[in-house]
Amino acid sequence: MSKPVISILSLTCCEGCQVSIFDLGERFLEFLTKVDIGDFRLIEGLPDVDKYDIAIVEGTAITDEQIKRLKTVREKSKYLVAIGACACIGGVQEIKNYRDKDKLIGLVYPNIRGIDNPDIKSVKEMVKVDIEIPGCPINKEEFFRIINEFLDGKTPVIEQKPVCEECVRKNNKCLLLLGKPCLGSVILAGCNAPCPASDFPCDGCRGPHKDINLEAIKKALKIKARLNDNDIELLLERFGKRNEL
Amino acid sequence: MKIRIDHIAKIEGHASFTADIVKGDVQSAQIKIEEGARLFEGIMRGRKDIEVPELGSRICGVCPVVHNFAGFKSIEDAYKVPVDNVSLRKLMMMGQMINSHSLHLFFFSLSDFFGYKSDLELINQYPEKTHDAMKIRDVGNKLVERIGGRTIHPLTPCIGGIRKAHDLKGLLEDCKKVLPLAIKLGELFVGLEYPDFVRKTNYVSLVNDSEYAVYDGKIKVGDKVMEPKEFYSKIKEFQEQDKVAKRTHFSEKSYMVGALARLNNSKDKLNSEAKKLLEKSNCNYSNPFYNILAQAIELVHFFEEAIKILENLGEIKINLPKIENTTGEGLGAIEAPRGTLFYNISLKDNVVEDINIITPTAQNIANLEDDLEEFEKLGGFKDLSDKEREDKIKMLIRAYDPCVTCAVH
Repeated sequence: MSKPVISILSLTCCEGCQVSIFDLGERFLEFLTKVDIGDFRLIEGLPDVDKYDIAIVEGTAITDEQIKRLKTVREKSKYLVAIGACACIGGVQEIKNYRDKDKLIGLVYPNIRGIDNPDIKSVKEMVKVDIEIPGCPINKEEFFRIINEFLDGKTPVIEQKPVCEECVRKNNKCLLLLGKPCLGSVILAGCNAPCPASDFPCDGCRGPHKDINLEAIKKALKIKARLNDNDIELLLERFGKRNEL
Repeated sequence: MKIRIDHIAKIEGHASFTADIVKGDVQSAQIKIEEGARLFEGIMRGRKDIEVPELGSRICGVCPVVHNFAGFKSIEDAYKVPVDNVSLRKLMMMGQMINSHSLHLFFFSLSDFFGYKSDLELINQYPEKTHDAMKIRDVGNKLVERIGGRTIHPLTPCIGGIRKAHDLKGLLEDCKKVLPLAIKLGELFVGLEYPDFVRKTNYVSLVNDSEYAVYDGKIKVGDKVMEPKEFYSKIKEFQEQDKVAKRTHFSEKSYMVGALARLNNSKDKLNSEAKKLLEKSNCNYSNPFYNILAQAIELVHFFEEAIKILENLGEIKINLPKIENTTGEGLGAIEAPRGTLFYNISLKDNVVEDINIITPTAQNIANLEDDLEEFEKLGGFKDLSDKEREDKIKMLIRAYDPCVTCAVH
């Protein structure tokens, strides 16, 4: 039986999600023996192939060439998996959408001609996505589970529940109750709550889970964490999740 | 004749290369960057101080720790706060250097010496070495994760130190166990044949009287040593039309940062096993291809250094300084795996008014292009086929370990 063909496409991002896959270490090496590589620029420079079974996409398409490549990859793939905050919800670069992006580019570059500066879009706003594995970076364990389920012919899902559920199981102190601006109660679980375990309040890199009560969390942030409206906006902009809420 | 190499594989991010060869002379050598602009320096403005290191680490998923620290160092310099538990930050840096160098050495560069186009060939030919390389990387990752809270985009660093100390048990044993593997990998790189290409340039890195500088120190450029602030103020950052990555000059000239620059400036400060390895080698300090060997030597040094730090660590107490002043200007300079990284910040009442970030690759591109302009000086160049020339050009570009993601930020 032929092996499934896997492709990894990296658009504009920090590439930390690809590095996370690499960080699987021995399991990554074993994974490579179970698949054929279609296109994976980080480890090979061979010619591309015609069809992929699974395309894994990280980052956001900013340049025209990236947009074209994303569309081509979609056409060639049976399944497309978006990984990481950038691909799933826009990532930190989407913060510019909530600002005057034409002014921002002038602050960074003396010569702005020829530099693409479109509004940032997540992958699902450009092409059909079969499953999203969110996070900044992705949780490599969750990625490994999902990709193996694909290889086994199953349909993987991420359970809709808040980060709080995983956080309490680790016996972490509730940071919101301690007055820290933690979004764990409205953010999709699956990360296994590494941030609160390091006393770092969840700031929502995985985006919201379904059916959240936005007003309730805003109120809690005001009362418990003493944030003002502007602080809350800044927090909700992070990782580009504001338009997902 | 035109040379055009599209989408260079096995580097961080996306770049192409173009040049002309006119009567055997390489001209108009250009690295073309194919990343979108993310405008980090724009989006950070108007946001709170603590967001700078958090967002900054998202510039690069390969070296997030140094971006994070450079951000904190710039803020700490602006607020004039002392830093608690510097040794923990240094230990995390060792992990960062180890995971980045081992990735580049084994998985990006080594195939070039054997002519493999895919790492799968390398993995099949050298299974034992591949597993060794993974073990080395794993320990680097563990150092970052156990102190920083996770391997990519650290969580525990804060203004004035480290917020929370996780249990570090077992790390010393891990480092001791893997050091011999790092030495073995180093010996492999000592034994390789490096292309013959020499071009004199200025080598720039942090230097420190007491150690092989990576976390802090002064800047050495050529024979001169100066404060990072003086050096930073003399860097000329420039950007040409249609180019998404800036370049830099110092005294009107390009210069090189990174492992080879550090070796040039601080080799007398290497730990003993790394020094032994260097003595066994034929390192040519003016040949940029030897940046690869320099990383292999450093890999051993960083393991030895991690062991030293762990042996002297003692019980960790968190004693964060009080922050009274939240307005000022500051510079954070640090050695990233690929060279010196600068964060220059201006803050008012906790809020970012202005920030400029100069990454190692942004500094190295001009030097790399200058190397490529003189690439006809490569030993045996005129007898190489077009294909072989292209492979050597790709090899030199990879030898710099460019991080295109960092270069555009």
